[in-house]
Amino acid sequence: MSNLYRAVGKRRFDSLPYLLIFPTFLFVAVFTAWPTLLAFYQSFFQQRLNIVRFREPTFIGLENYTKLFADDRFLQVLRNTFYYIVGTVPLSILLAFLFALLVNRKIRGVGWARLGFFYPTILPLVSAATIWMFFFTPDYGLLNTALRAIGYTGADNWLGNPNLALISIMIVNVWKNAGFYMIFYLAGLQSLPTDVFEAAAIDGATGWQMLWRIAFPLLRRTTLFVTTIAFIGAFREVDHIFVLTQGGPSRASTVLLYHLWQVRFENQDVGQASAITMVLIVLLLFFTVTNFLLSERGGEADV
Amino acid sequence: MKSKWSIFLSILLLILLVACGGNNTETTNAPAENATTAETSDTPAEEPVEEPAAEPVAIEMFYPVAVDAPIAAILQGYVDDFEAANPDVTVELVFSGGYTDVKTAIQTTVEGGGTPPALGVMLATDIYDLANAGIIMPLDDYAANADFMDDFFPAFLANSYFDGQLWSIPFQRSNVLLYYNNDMFAAAGLEAPTSWQELADDAAALTIRDGDTVTQWGMQWSSDWPYWLFQPLAMGMGQNIIGDSDTEVFFDNPAVIEAVQDYIDLSAVYEAMPAGVQASWGSSSADFASGQTAMIMHSSGSLAGILEQANFEVGVMALPGKESGTYATVVGGGNLYIMDGVPQEQKDAAWRFIEFLSNADLAADFSIQTGYIATRESAYETDAMKEYIASVPQAGQAREAMQYAGAEFSIQNLGEVRGIFHDYLQKAFNGEMSAADAMAAAQTESDAALEAFR
Repeated sequence: MSNLYRAVGKRRFDSLPYLLIFPTFLFVAVFTAWPTLLAFYQSFFQQRLNIVRFREPTFIGLENYTKLFADDRFLQVLRNTFYYIVGTVPLSILLAFLFALLVNRKIRGVGWARLGFFYPTILPLVSAATIWMFFFTPDYGLLNTALRAIGYTGADNWLGNPNLALISIMIVNVWKNAGFYMIFYLAGLQSLPTDVFEAAAIDGATGWQMLWRIAFPLLRRTTLFVTTIAFIGAFREVDHIFVLTQGGPSRASTVLLYHLWQVRFENQDVGQASAITMVLIVLLLFFTVTNFLLSERGGEADV
Repeated sequence: MKSKWSIFLSILLLILLVACGGNNTETTNAPAENATTAETSDTPAEEPVEEPAAEPVAIEMFYPVAVDAPIAAILQGYVDDFEAANPDVTVELVFSGGYTDVKTAIQTTVEGGGTPPALGVMLATDIYDLANAGIIMPLDDYAANADFMDDFFPAFLANSYFDGQLWSIPFQRSNVLLYYNNDMFAAAGLEAPTSWQELADDAAALTIRDGDTVTQWGMQWSSDWPYWLFQPLAMGMGQNIIGDSDTEVFFDNPAVIEAVQDYIDLSAVYEAMPAGVQASWGSSSADFASGQTAMIMHSSGSLAGILEQANFEVGVMALPGKESGTYATVVGGGNLYIMDGVPQEQKDAAWRFIEFLSNADLAADFSIQTGYIATRESAYETDAMKEYIASVPQAGQAREAMQYAGAEFSIQNLGEVRGIFHDYLQKAFNGEMSAADAMAAAQTESDAALEAFR
């Protein structure tokens, strides 16, 4: 093997690595880079496919963006998206970590617990939402029956109440994803070196300390990965909104991607949709890069 | 060296795989595309290719499944019959999801420069978006020679005309019905309501409470996608939310505001309906069929499913209006469209298939098998339909409702205007705004959204 490496290293131009990344490069170029550039370009044009005289694109500079940020509906959608992310990402990660701790023990029935936590992940989101639709039903729905059993007497019209609709969407998201993220923590926990914990135990560390001072920091990379995919997922997963609330009532549960779909395919407004796409991309890039940088810097300080 | 070769080999394999994958997708599209290129090169009417008229014209039809019926099998049966009678045409049915998916698939194909299917079943209300985007073609030249145009229910054609031209042919159509549990009405000594006031009183009388808990609602009326079920109420109060113009809405009309208030009052005053926006399209029909609700507003498309489950006498009718003896309903559902981007031969073949589907016997059969309302009046004169109505009188009641039917909410810039209307209608239903304020705001914003179309 070392002969091979040396032979490869001696070459002036080695085509192998390029050949290896070529398929990926091609896919990223065609399905990610090109649409992004196209959206960026189109966001400076007015183009309405359902208005005959605006069917051909006309250059309007930044008007799509100024209109966007002057639109109360869009600002409401941004607010909803913010609440949606704040309400789902940390909670599902915390639950994932706790689930992983729970099913990492060698206790009876742990296989069933793992299956139970992971099960929502394998259901398609639309089917899951259809099931939840009946959980959320006022009067006799499972959720309300359970809540009433523990003494809840508040509003029970989950999908029709403007203060509850977004929360309902968030509940489904957390339920769907916590088990999925659990898998990563479980894998992380099982690959942790045992000698560290033995040493800590000799030094008299409590279980609580071992958990938050040793295990959790050692799983930093897992957390980085899970946070990133959870964040992207929160932006990306809107299928259940189509089933449960259609973004309503009165847009109370409309988040960015759902709004983008409406503007593009219901309003047929290509320019506005492109501007919204750019906002979405910038938000995603900003978070992913900061998340990565913060967590990398923290890592160096540890070393 | 061996491992190096194996890497190269695996890359080669990978590339082959990718290439094959590409080929596969191309071959699935091949019939339509081959046909396209063949036709376009034929149009200059040069010398005929070697085997004249041997290849049948192949057309595709994109269709949705929107009701609980084996639509795919039923349509395939019609295609088989059609192909047997027309050996020079083949029809390939492509199931494409729901109505929105069919529209999106065709729209993106056209925008991406591809060839759309010759035929599509899309919502009747999509006419303006599809025509403005240049996706569909007017059918007047074809329809001029057809003998069935006058036989369609007028309301089913109400969403087919734009700019003085005909753009679609009614196909799988429904209407909004008031479903009532006749056994409950009879037990309470009530008759089917003949006015809105009677309906409200009946709903209140049929609401049963056990302490604070409601064990039986008088009425359930889904409002998570509210415009459709709301329209008959507005019409009953004296004004549909749209008129003859394709750029005018009547949201702040006093009759429409009254209708919004009537909906609210069913829960606020009569306490006969759950309060606020009800996300209950699926659960209300189930609640009705299981006898937990005396009345619901729902699609005629749910009739078959409800009749199957209900162990009581189900009655259906148009919604009673303000004046005693007036009723109202609106139509819904999908029409047949021919795409403009296909060669002439495919368009001709597509029209022949439309003619075939519009046959009165077939319209009757489709209605019996699916629960949709037959599109033609004469379909109700066929023996099969008479026999069916004798055994399922509700199908006849649904047809009776057609005489009170108005046009479904369809307008230029539909997506945006409907979004505005839904926002404010739900704000009123949820008590965030008064009916009058909400409808005034909806009117102002909709007028602004329609400005570019006037």
